[in-house]
Parts: sequence; structure tokens; C-alpha cells
Amino acid sequence: MITLAHFVIVSAILFSIGLYAVLAKKNAILILVGIELMINAAVLNLVAFGRYDGALYGGQTFALFAIVLAAAAVAVALAIILNVYKHYKSIDPDDINELKD
Amino acid sequence: MTVHLVLFYLLAATAIGSALLIVSMKNLVRSLFLFFVTLFAVAGLYIFALADFVAITQVIVYVGGVLVLMLFAFMLSNRALLNDLQEGVRGVFALPRWQALLVATSFLAILLFVAVEIGENEPYWITEAQDNQSIIQPQDNTIHHLGINLMTRYVLPFEVVSVFLMMALMGAAHLARKEEKQS
Amino acid sequence: MDHLNPISPTVSAALIVLLAPLLAFIITVVSGKRMKSGLPAVLAMAISLLAAIFVFANIWNEEVIHQQIPWFTVGSNTFTLGIILNNLSAIMVVLVCVIALPVHIYSMVYMKDDGGIHRYWMYLSLFCFAMLGLVLVDSLLLMYMAWELVGFASYLLIGFWFTKTAAVKANKKAFLINRIGDLGFLIGIAILYTQFHTLDLVALFGEEGLVKQAINDGNSWYSAGESMPAEWLTIAGISFFLGAMAKSAQFPFHIWLPDAMEGPTAVSSLIHAATMVAAGVFMLVRISPLFDSQVLLLIASIGAFTAFMAASIALTQNDIKKILAFSTISQLGFMMVAIGIGQYGAAIFHLVTHAFFKCLLFLSAGAVIHEMHHLKEKYQLDFDAQDIRNMGGLRKFMPWTFRLTLVAALALAGLPLTAGYLSKDAILIYTFEWSEWQSGYWKIVPIALFVTSALTAFYIGRLVFKVFFGKFRLEKLLQKHLHVQEAPKWMLYPMFFLTLGALFAFFSYNPLVFEDAWLLKGFELTETLQRVNIYHTVVPAAINSISVVVIFIAWRWYARGKYPVEKLTGVWYRFSESQWYFNMLYDRVIVKGLIETSRFFYAFDRAVVDGIVNRSGAMVRLLANLSQWLDRNVVDGLVNGVGKLSFNLGGILRGSRKGKVQYYLLSMLFFLLIVLLVGLNLF
Repeated sequence: MITLAHFVIVSAILFSIGLYAVLAKKNAILILVGIELMINAAVLNLVAFGRYDGALYGGQTFALFAIVLAAAAVAVALAIILNVYKHYKSIDPDDINELKD
Repeated sequence: MTVHLVLFYLLAATAIGSALLIVSMKNLVRSLFLFFVTLFAVAGLYIFALADFVAITQVIVYVGGVLVLMLFAFMLSNRALLNDLQEGVRGVFALPRWQALLVATSFLAILLFVAVEIGENEPYWITEAQDNQSIIQPQDNTIHHLGINLMTRYVLPFEVVSVFLMMALMGAAHLARKEEKQS
Repeated sequence: MDHLNPISPTVSAALIVLLAPLLAFIITVVSGKRMKSGLPAVLAMAISLLAAIFVFANIWNEEVIHQQIPWFTVGSNTFTLGIILNNLSAIMVVLVCVIALPVHIYSMVYMKDDGGIHRYWMYLSLFCFAMLGLVLVDSLLLMYMAWELVGFASYLLIGFWFTKTAAVKANKKAFLINRIGDLGFLIGIAILYTQFHTLDLVALFGEEGLVKQAINDGNSWYSAGESMPAEWLTIAGISFFLGAMAKSAQFPFHIWLPDAMEGPTAVSSLIHAATMVAAGVFMLVRISPLFDSQVLLLIASIGAFTAFMAASIALTQNDIKKILAFSTISQLGFMMVAIGIGQYGAAIFHLVTHAFFKCLLFLSAGAVIHEMHHLKEKYQLDFDAQDIRNMGGLRKFMPWTFRLTLVAALALAGLPLTAGYLSKDAILIYTFEWSEWQSGYWKIVPIALFVTSALTAFYIGRLVFKVFFGKFRLEKLLQKHLHVQEAPKWMLYPMFFLTLGALFAFFSYNPLVFEDAWLLKGFELTETLQRVNIYHTVVPAAINSISVVVIFIAWRWYARGKYPVEKLTGVWYRFSESQWYFNMLYDRVIVKGLIETSRFFYAFDRAVVDGIVNRSGAMVRLLANLSQWLDRNVVDGLVNGVGKLSFNLGGILRGSRKGKVQYYLLSMLFFLLIVLLVGLNLF
């Protein structure tokens, strides 16, 4: 039987991997990929729990919304990355440190 | 049931495996294409969670939209960007930063712990729902139900999301415009 | 001031004798370069002479005056200033003044155009003062002071022409050798003082003197309360004799006197013939009660040896002054022998007569040299004015000089009718008589003196004949006709005066028997020697005939020019001419030895001592480096380490502000983790 725990575990693993990518990658686009992975994991979680919400269908609805929002975020983020690249001539997040204290 | 489980595990392994490969590959293009694989696998997993519409939406929006957008944006930018991204390669697999690894694994540990706990004592509303038979059944028409809910119960978030999409579109378009050469 | 006895006229006269030259010295010093004529010095000497005659008249065989005042006190000992006037003092004081005055007058002419003449008068007056002090003072301490002062004045006068290197070397030599003697004198004083606790001459050597009362039993030397091992008596005697040896140029300290001839001839005549060199003899006579038989034998032997050696050297010398210098050494040897046999009167007698004729010889040599110098200037020639080989036949040009020199030469040779005959024969005869009482070996002393007398006659004959007889060799050498003048009048008058003293008449009514001399009668004999009649007739006869023969031979060789030997290169000739190689010996052994030793010590000092110092310096430097390293690396390292630690810590903490987005995220998540863990009760 595929229980809730299976989904949650898979989602946890995907989330951690996405988190690692966000924290450790030297490439802004890969950071974006990491964020997408995290959002995917979250959506998986939503869907897994939404199975038990037959009355309100909240889980699946919000999964839809989340996917749409993620897409919008990616679009904007890519635009920002392009701009940043134009200014800093690099997409290494370590080089983009002019806002430091 | 065994076929179920095997398939599930297969899909789960694909998703996790390709996710791991994404973070360990140095070559950006290959990472993006592996993301492709991950997204498809996750969509498969959605179907196992009896969310077939979400799975299709995932494929259409994410794979066909987001990923393609990323690929295009990445490939249609100038050579320098490409070159930048491919520099500093030392072997196919990169050495992970230990702090990030530590944090990620700790998070994983915590999440797994919670997951195991949920597996043992499920939250009360899940048990109630199971008792009241209001969980989603495989033979339900999810599209039908989703449609009705979107128009009645969740119409406000729906409208807000559409406005939000428009904003995002405008913002992205503005941000990505071609600057007149001033310098 | 009641310890000042009323000063008797005699004592005041003695003080005038002493202080007049000092006054002249002060006046000359104050006048500086303006003093050219030397009148104060001459006048002072004349005054001294008159006062000295007065003193002599009152003291000779009359009374003995001894006056002193306390001078300074060290601990419980008081030292005094005083004078003693006895026979010895009186005769010496008169002698010094009588010799000094003619020399002063002679110097006025001799040194007339010398550039440093003010210094000359200064030094001369200083010398006279010191010499007169030496003969008048009553304590060994004052005598030592005067002794040193006399040596110092001699040093100044020998090196009078200090631009000549030879003169400078000579005065250095004289001073150094005199210093060695002074050391002996000082040691003697120390021994006497330790034993007797007084330095007063009368207290020590007088009739009831401490020295006479001290008992020497062969083991210890006793005196009132003190005793020393017996050897110290001999050692004291030898130490004093050492002083006299250096001052009176006895072997082996005679080498300074020939070199001292670098000084002006007038100085040589006064100091190095008549007075200063006699100071040694005088001192020995003053302290005569101190000597025991061993010391006396030593004195006699050294005197005899010196007499013989110096006479043999004088045979071959060519410098007129050097011949006379060695003659002086030889005659001083005679005086030492006289002291050694205990006949102090004979010694003083010979001293007095020798002073007259030797001074006269030097003054005439000076006259000859003076005229030869005139020749040099007049004819623009270049030759050694003192070399007798350049002279000859000068009696045609300088008749009076010749006559006076002849008298003096006869006196030196000891021929009858001269004073020299009396004193020399006294010594000879007494020596023969003395040798009768000693063991057989001691006969060599009178025989040596006998031979020396013969040699003396020869060398002085050689000098007179070579200088005054024959042809004027310089003319022959230079193929020119040269005209030599007679010596100036005022040089001749002092010489004439001295000649009177060289004749017998001054000393005795009887020209042939010396015992009638009044001078001898003034000195008591310590031991009345048994009169051996035979000696009194044979010895004078023998010596005089031999002297005549020898003089005839000299005449044939030098006056007639019939010299029997062609070349002068025999080993004996060279041995004699190089002064028995003494100078070379001393130079090789002592001078070079000293230089090598000092070089060794210098090298040792550099290598070892400096090496030690340098090594320890290097060690210190090493330690310093070590501690510096320690300080810099360990101590500072600690301090710096703390700083670096905080810097690194800060760096670590600063990393959170680096502006790296991923770091921010990391730290956020880290804290979120902690919160979660706490929430989950895992801690």
C-alpha cells in the first residue's frame, strides 16, 4: 500500500536536494532550479495530503495555484538574472555582493 | 498491489536520482535536461496521489512552459553567459560545500523524522476523513470537482492569481527589455 | 718657630752657595729667549764660589755643622730638610764651584751664536743647583731627589741639540741607564729605612751612627729592635753601588757616557768629566760605613775591570771627545778601586785632581773643535770636526791651547810635578799594599791598575801627538791651504785657571810624596795599611819609567808618522775600536729581546685576551639573537596569535556579512534548524 508516509518521504528528499542546490551552487540558474525543486516537493506534499480532503478539494486546488505561481516566479527570476548579468558580467552569486554591510 | 508499489518506487527513484544528478553535475545544460526528467517523474507521482489534473497541469505548465523558458533564456543569451557557466569545471562531479550539505541533511533528517511520525500517528482529520469516507477515490471525476471548487469556493484566489500573472508578465517584460546603449 | 736655631754665618753661606744658581735658573726661565749672554748664571756662580770658599775655610778640619728643620710627617715618621757641613761637603762644594765657574765663562764664548742659548743657561744653572744640593744635604731622601735632578739636567744637556737624532738617542740612553741605577739607590734606601727607620745621614753613618752600631753576626743583622737576615746588609750595599755604577759609568753601565758626548763640549767638561760622574764616588764615600767586605771586594773588582777595559778602548778611538770619555770611565774605575780598598781619602783626592785636568782636557778639545768648525764655515768644507785623523800639527796654529793641553795630558798620565801624579800614585801604592793582606788572586787588581796607567799614558800621548804634532792632515786631504786660528782669549783664561789646579803646587808642598797632601789629611783612614816601604819607591819609579817609554813610542808612531802596521784590521784592534762590542751586545740581547717580548705579549693580548673578549662579545651577541628570536617569535607570537585568533574569528563572523546571499540563507536555515530541533524535543 502506498501510504501517506511514502509521499512525504519522497517530498522530504526532493526538498532537501533542492535546498542543497540553493545553498551550494555557484550558478544563479541552478539556484533557480533548486527553488523549483523545492516548490515541486511542496506541491507533491500538498497533493499527497489533499487526497484525504475530498470535501473541500483544497489540496489539489492549491497545487494548481502553486504551479502557476511558480511559473510566474521563474519568468521574473530569469529576467532578473539577465539584468544582473548585464550589470555584473557574472552570474556567480558570490560576485553579486555590493549590498554587503 | 505489488505492481503499484514497484512502479511507485521506480518513479520515486527516478525523481530522486535525477534530482541528485542535477545538483552534482557541473555541466549546466545537462542539469537542465535532467530537470526535465525530474519534472516528468514527479508528474507520475502526482497520478499516484490521485491528482491527475495536477499531473497534466504540471507537465504542460512546468515542463512545456517553465523548463522551455529556462532553456530558451539560457541558450539565447550571449556566448559570455554560456562560457561563464561552463568555466571552473573540475571533473564532472563538484565537491559539495560542507555547510550546505550539513544543513540540507539536517533538514532531511528532521523532515524524515516527521514523516515517519506521520506514518505512525496520522493527524486526526485524516483519520476522520477516512472514517467519513470523504477521501478522494480513484474513480472520482477530479476535473469536475476542481472546476466547481475553483468557481465557487476558491474564486477569489483564482482572480488574484490571474491579476498576479498579468503583473508578472508585465514585470518580466519590462525587466528583460533591451536597454538603449547609454554608456 | 723656636726650633729654628739661629743660623750661623757658615750655614747662611752654605745656603747662598746652594740657592744662587737656583735664583739664576729662575731668572733665566723668566727671561726666556731674551737671555743671550748668560750673565746671571755666571754671576751666580761667582757668588757661589765666594760663599763656598768661606764655608770651606770655616769647616775644613774645624767643626761639623748639621742643621735641619722638619719637613713632613708620614705616620709616626718625620722627614727633615737639612744640610750637613763636614770635610767631604766642604771640599766637594768648593770643587763644584771652582770647576763650574770657568766652564760658565768658557761657555759664554763657545756657545755664543747658538740659537737655543737661553735654554743652555737654564739647564746649566739647574744642574749646578742640583749638584750643590747633592753634596750639601743631610738625608738620603734629599740626596736621592738631588741625584734624580742631576740626572735630569744631564739628560736635558746631552740632548741640547735635539734636532740631531744622535743626540736624542744618546740622551734617552743616558736617562734609561741612570734610571736603572736609581732603582738600586731606591732599593738601598728602602732597606735602610726598614732597618733603621731614619734616613738621616748623620744618624745613620756618623761616628755613633746606627749602621756602625748594628751588629751583623753572620745570621742576622741587628739594630735597635729590628733585625733582618744578614744577607740584606750585603744587598743594601750592592744596591747603593748599583746606583753609583750607573751614575759613574762603571761596567756594565758605562755605555751611556761615550754617547753623551753628543752634548756641547762645555757640558761634557763640567758634567761628564768633573762633577756629575763623580757624584757616584761621592755617594759611596758618604755611605761608606754600610759596606761589608764582600761589597768592597765587588767594588774594587768592578772598578779595576772598568779601568782596564775603558783604557783599552780609548787606544783606538778616533773621535777626540770619545777618547776623553773613555779616559773618564777609566779614571772613575781608579776611584772605585780606591773605595774598594777602603781608602776613601785617596778616592776623593783623585776625584778632585781628575776634575781639574779632565775638565781642562775637555775645554781644550772644545777649543780645537771650535776652530775646526770655523774652518768648516770659512772654507765651506764638509768633514767631521771631531775626528783626530783630520787634525795634526795644530801647535803651530794654537800654541797656547797646545801648552795647556800638554800640562793636562801629563797630569792624566801621572808624570811627576803634576797633581795627577800624586793622586794616581796614592791609589796605586795603596792598592799594592792592600793586596798584601788579601789572598793571592787579588794581586790582579793592582796589576790591572798598573797596566791601565801605562795604557793611559799611551792613549793620551796618542791624542796629543795626533792633534798637535805632525802635518795638518786635513790640508793634505783637501789639497788646500787652510789657516786655523788660536782659540779666543776668553776661552783660554778659564783653561789657564784650571791648569793651576792640575799642577802639584795646589795640593802638596812635596811634588813626589803624596802623603803630604793636605787633602788626604782631611780624611781619616778606615784601616791604616801597613806601610810597605818597597812599594812606595818601586811602584812610582816603575810606572813613571814605563809611561815615559810608552809616550816615546806614541811619539814615534803618531808624531813622526812611523806607524809600524799598515792596515788597522786586526781582531784586537776591531775589538777595541767597537768598544768591546758592548753596544752591539746590549742592542742584540736586551733591546731586541725586549722588543720581541713585547711583540709576543702584544700578539698574545690581541689573540687571547682580545680573543676572549671578542668571543664573549660574540657569545653575548648570540644570546641576544636568541632572546630576540624568542621574543619575536614566542612572546610576540603569543600576542600576535591572540590577535590573529580574534581576527580570524572576526573573519569568520564577518563572513556572515559578506554580501553572499547563499551565506545569508545558510545562516537563516541554520537557526531555523535549531528552532526546529528544540521544538521537536531532540535536544
